[in-house]
Amino acid sequence: MSELNSALEHPTYNYKVVRQFTVMTVVWGIVGMLVGVLIAAQLAWPALNFDVPWLHFGRLRPLHTNAVIFAFGGSALFATSYYIVQRTCQVRLISDKLAAFTFWGWQLVILSAAITLPLGITTSKEYAELEWPIDILITIVWVVYALVFFGTIVKRKTSHIYVANWFLGAYILAVAVLHIINSMEIPVTMTKSYSVYAGTVDAMVQWWYGHNAVGFFLTAGFLGMMYYFVPKQAERPVYSYRLSIVHFWTLVAVYIWAGPHHLHYTALPDWAQSLGMAMSIILLAPSWGGMINGMMTLSGAWDKLRTDPILRFLVVSLSFYGMSTFEGPMMSIRTVNALSHYTDWTIGHVHSGALGWVAMISIGSVYHLVPILFAKERMYSISLINAHFWMATIGTVLYIVSMWVNGILQGLMWRAYNQDGTLTYSFVEAVAASYPGYVVRFLGGAIFFSGMLIMAYNVYMTSRRDFEPEAAPTAAAAA
Amino acid sequence: MIQHTFGLLTSPSKHWRSIARLDDKTLTTLLLYPCFLALIPAVAWYFGTTTQGWTVGGGEAIKLTRESALQICILFYLTMLGCVAAIGYFIHWMADTYGAKSTITKGIVITGLTATPLFISGIVGVHPLLWLDMLIGVFAVSWSVYLMYLGIPIVMDIPEERGFLFSSAVMAIGLVILICLMVASVFLWDLGAAPAFTD
Repeated sequence: MSELNSALEHPTYNYKVVRQFTVMTVVWGIVGMLVGVLIAAQLAWPALNFDVPWLHFGRLRPLHTNAVIFAFGGSALFATSYYIVQRTCQVRLISDKLAAFTFWGWQLVILSAAITLPLGITTSKEYAELEWPIDILITIVWVVYALVFFGTIVKRKTSHIYVANWFLGAYILAVAVLHIINSMEIPVTMTKSYSVYAGTVDAMVQWWYGHNAVGFFLTAGFLGMMYYFVPKQAERPVYSYRLSIVHFWTLVAVYIWAGPHHLHYTALPDWAQSLGMAMSIILLAPSWGGMINGMMTLSGAWDKLRTDPILRFLVVSLSFYGMSTFEGPMMSIRTVNALSHYTDWTIGHVHSGALGWVAMISIGSVYHLVPILFAKERMYSISLINAHFWMATIGTVLYIVSMWVNGILQGLMWRAYNQDGTLTYSFVEAVAASYPGYVVRFLGGAIFFSGMLIMAYNVYMTSRRDFEPEAAPTAAAAA
Repeated sequence: MIQHTFGLLTSPSKHWRSIARLDDKTLTTLLLYPCFLALIPAVAWYFGTTTQGWTVGGGEAIKLTRESALQICILFYLTMLGCVAAIGYFIHWMADTYGAKSTITKGIVITGLTATPLFISGIVGVHPLLWLDMLIGVFAVSWSVYLMYLGIPIVMDIPEERGFLFSSAVMAIGLVILICLMVASVFLWDLGAAPAFTD
């Protein structure tokens, strides 16, 4: 492996750490989505937990979310941010050792999560389930990450800081603040701690963290990715540089307020709920600023679509980003939330962002990166990328549609009452009625997951030393 | 008008090409096409929800009262037309970006014709059975999406790849309008258009 790496070493840039994170993006994507498909199947066929506590839905669900957000999404962000910051600052990372430390440190975090969560060791805070020793490890790795990233920006050779780095910088800073404040906890034993916050404050801090994990980890970070790979793949400049700066500042300023919409009709004071709702609705504008900028950049590159399925991933990811950032503000309206909250509509919404936006743009970026990182002309098979594109799109659509139907069905059934004031349906009747939707969701997830397997094969074949693509790759690639 | 329905369902590319050749006046009369076809689902669901009813989780059949079903089905009919008009307007609005010449009429006609499988599949309303309707619904949506990706480059007279981007943008608009519909339904439900069930 070492001689392979030395053969691939770039004279200026540190590609090794980018390559490591890129490969792990694919690996953790497969692991995380496999767990997701398993728990989706458990909801349709509950016997699939085999009466084993480690395979129980309640333990695997946090494993799924942590694996796809922090392992898959995180690795994709590490890989692309290290790549983008080097290319746009035209300088090598400040320290190869520190970069390697973030790689191994982050893998250790993921491994600890994969061990502790099935054992039932959890803080019970959503998306922050990992116990305090792992929290400390995350903090150390993250601070080193920030050092490497910002250090590289400081010694850049270009005069200005490209907009992708603004987004990536905001994501690194905000995630550090969010993680440290939300994970303040008092350890009792090595594997158990209690939050320093109590009651409603705990809930508010948790959802301030939770929603901004979406806002900064899954949005700002991936917008940084979008601002580099969309213009690069389209071979065109960003449509509007001014729009990108305006929507950067508004996004950063508004997202941080939107958390309370997770706590509508709870003990949280009404004014805080209303404020969260208002800010969530305003958030539509900066979100769409990013979508429009990406779409308009891509729309000039239409002539490349025939030969370039990577562009399709980017187009569709932006469509889903636009859709889900419209859906989010709508669902934050209290009247709508009264119906949609706690139903599958929410899960559908999350996945239109997670599968449609985050995963698709990451996949597109990985397909762009892999040939560069392994010093090849192109990916091993363009038609397999095309197959993956259709599987990802169809899988996402099946997932979202089934959850919409289930969500509305559940919301309506839960609130239906008879003329004498008794409830029309028991809870379990709503569960029984959701069964077809759960099966369709499982199918959609399984199709998306199979696409990831195709990608893994394609990446593996591209990385093989005996693969030498011919010079003109476009002829056989008609989609 | 009926020849468009069959034409689009049996030989879509050929038929889109013939629509692309129509003059403006003929296009204007085609504005009536969605007005007629949208009657199919509205009437079918009125019939289905009042006389057949549906069951949830194996319970007794649930039916709507006639007044309530009439109110909802009229709203349903108007909503369908509203959506066609809105998407049609957006198609026209975006045409310039994708290098196509368009009018609002052309946009609305494309939308109405594209929705043919959806309108036709609305006939399932006569027998409301959730899983079957969902299955047919998904099938009809896929068919409509196919018709759109096929039709937009032909009728707008632009290269296929550019049409792919155009259609994807329309797709995003369609999804946004779908969410508007879900949200509007939730609001209307609270504002007095909630269904009244027979006892």
